[in-house]
Amino acid sequence: MSEMFANLGLGFSVALSFQNIALAFVGCLVGTLVGVLPGVGPIATIAMLLPITFGLDPVGALIMLAGIYYGAQYGGSTTAILVNIPGEATSVVTTLDGHQMARQGRAGVALGTAALASFFAGCVATVVIAALGAPLTKLALLFGPAEYFSLMVMGLCFAVVLARGSILKAFCMIMLGLLLSTVGTDLETGQERMTFGFPPLSDGIDFAVLAMGVFGFAEVLRNLENPEARDVVRAKIGRLLPGWSDIKQAAMPVVRGTGIGAILGILPGNGAVLGPFASYTVEKKIAKDPSRFGKGAIEGVAGPEAANNAGAQTAFIPLLTLGIPPNAVMALMVGAMTIHGIIPGPQVMTKNPDLFWGMIASMWIGNLMLLVINLPLVGLWVKLLQVPYRLMFPAILIFCSIGIYSVNNQPVDVAFTALFGLFGYLLIKLGFEPAPMLLGFVLGKLMEEKLRQALIISRGSFMTFIERPISAGLLLVAVAILVIALMPAMSKKREEVFTE
Amino acid sequence: MSLNKIEAAQGWRIRSTQDFAGGLFMIGLAALALFLARDLPLGTLRQIGPGMLPKSIAVICAALGALLSLNAMRYKGEKLSGWSWRGVFFVLGAAVVFGLTIRGFEIGPLKVPQLGMLVSGPLVVFIAGLAAEDVRLKELAIFAVAMTTACALLFKYALSLPIPLAPWLLGI
Repeated sequence: MSEMFANLGLGFSVALSFQNIALAFVGCLVGTLVGVLPGVGPIATIAMLLPITFGLDPVGALIMLAGIYYGAQYGGSTTAILVNIPGEATSVVTTLDGHQMARQGRAGVALGTAALASFFAGCVATVVIAALGAPLTKLALLFGPAEYFSLMVMGLCFAVVLARGSILKAFCMIMLGLLLSTVGTDLETGQERMTFGFPPLSDGIDFAVLAMGVFGFAEVLRNLENPEARDVVRAKIGRLLPGWSDIKQAAMPVVRGTGIGAILGILPGNGAVLGPFASYTVEKKIAKDPSRFGKGAIEGVAGPEAANNAGAQTAFIPLLTLGIPPNAVMALMVGAMTIHGIIPGPQVMTKNPDLFWGMIASMWIGNLMLLVINLPLVGLWVKLLQVPYRLMFPAILIFCSIGIYSVNNQPVDVAFTALFGLFGYLLIKLGFEPAPMLLGFVLGKLMEEKLRQALIISRGSFMTFIERPISAGLLLVAVAILVIALMPAMSKKREEVFTE
Repeated sequence: MSLNKIEAAQGWRIRSTQDFAGGLFMIGLAALALFLARDLPLGTLRQIGPGMLPKSIAVICAALGALLSLNAMRYKGEKLSGWSWRGVFFVLGAAVVFGLTIRGFEIGPLKVPQLGMLVSGPLVVFIAGLAAEDVRLKELAIFAVAMTTACALLFKYALSLPIPLAPWLLGI
């Protein structure tokens, strides 16, 4: 316990330098600015803004990225409440009641509640990360290649179960992601694999390029098709701070949402996505009058927003302790860290304690920043959202193009992104959800490496994955959740959760 | 949708064009991957070769695709919806034009010098903007110039990213 506070103290001493506070501030501001644009979720935002952190020192860059991340999350909620367009899967739930509140002239209260709920969840999640960081890092040291492989298999199984829509289609997407990850030079033999003999592909497909194409460009194409979906609130924003009766109503949902989100966020395989859905379902189940939900119930904003932010933050735990990104956003973080010469994993905490704890402390600061800068700036976001989409998407496009070009200073990357935009649009048309594909892609390279190592150690015997107890346990969990999800009774429930 | 719906239906016909096409799409991609990876050695389990994973994953993809297509013939599901070529052409075309002109290119006899952001920027905004059905050309042209100026100030000067502005004119 005292060790944890000493560590957090170290973190705050790093994060509270003038430069780092300024970076957190700028990160939150631009993150929100871009995240507010409809159809631009956190993934596209971070991919777009990644280059602006290149010139900084590693600690500063990560602090700024964390700020961008929270800003993008919060920007997504703002869009969900004011325009009824969710920037990404997790803010879908916020549109249900948040947008209704906005239509009733309580947009300000909805935004304020979302910010306060997120802040509370952020504070709790910061402590959770600080508390779990050290023990999980010790656990990670017990992990050999076989355990890592099994853990990632489990993560992918979670991703399949937690994806929206058909399980079979989610499976397809995971495998497609794995397949895409094998493009490029083979790690051991140096042979080129499936590159069409095209030199820019020999390093493999760049994650930022794939993510930006599938989540940035394809999303623009999708939004262009449904112009009627945009419904900017014309009503007054109203006061921002929730009144006493609102607070009383929202308090318990926030606490429950935080708990649900924090636990689900730790799961490998994008558990954080499920948080808001689960929280909404729980609140609706235990409410005295469930019919209020969908018509502007404040609990329907407070709970899911808390769950969303708690999950968004505890998702850092698998990344920082095990080096395994649990979702696409965290995969971008891996990319950013690698650019600065940090390889995420258990060694970060021992080798760069100032970076590790500084980043955790900056998470809290980032949450505080959001509260401080976003609420006063609500008017600005509303103005921004009233810009017609015919001007907004060309602006999104030039940001994306410059962002992608700047990641590697490669013009060909921009053309590749366009190609993946087409690919993503095709996936949308075919009813595939692209998020699991990105996760498969992210974990693919690491899985292949660990699989090969494990099989070399075991001399080609697959039994090694079952004989080692931790690995066997992880695989057992993976099989169990797949079986449960495929049981007819359960699959019905699952559909209910996602359609609500 | 398809797997979870317990709608036993009689006879085989395509009940969900979306899922059916999705299955074919997976099979097609898997076939392409198998073709591209045809010369990569499989290796043995003891020493996995470069071809082992791509090939086995491709086979799994194809199997899942086949399952999806078969399911589409048994269970009802979504239909394929229309495809908007206008968006694809202008939006993605704009990005490609940006990539081609920012640092110049040479394809066969075609040669474009390094035009830089002051040219590529307005191009990308303008071309993309044409995708909107309610496009207003004059407004879009002004917006293209304004956005480029803002981006140049932001990315080149405020963030000092090494992006060429207009090498043929300004030398930067």
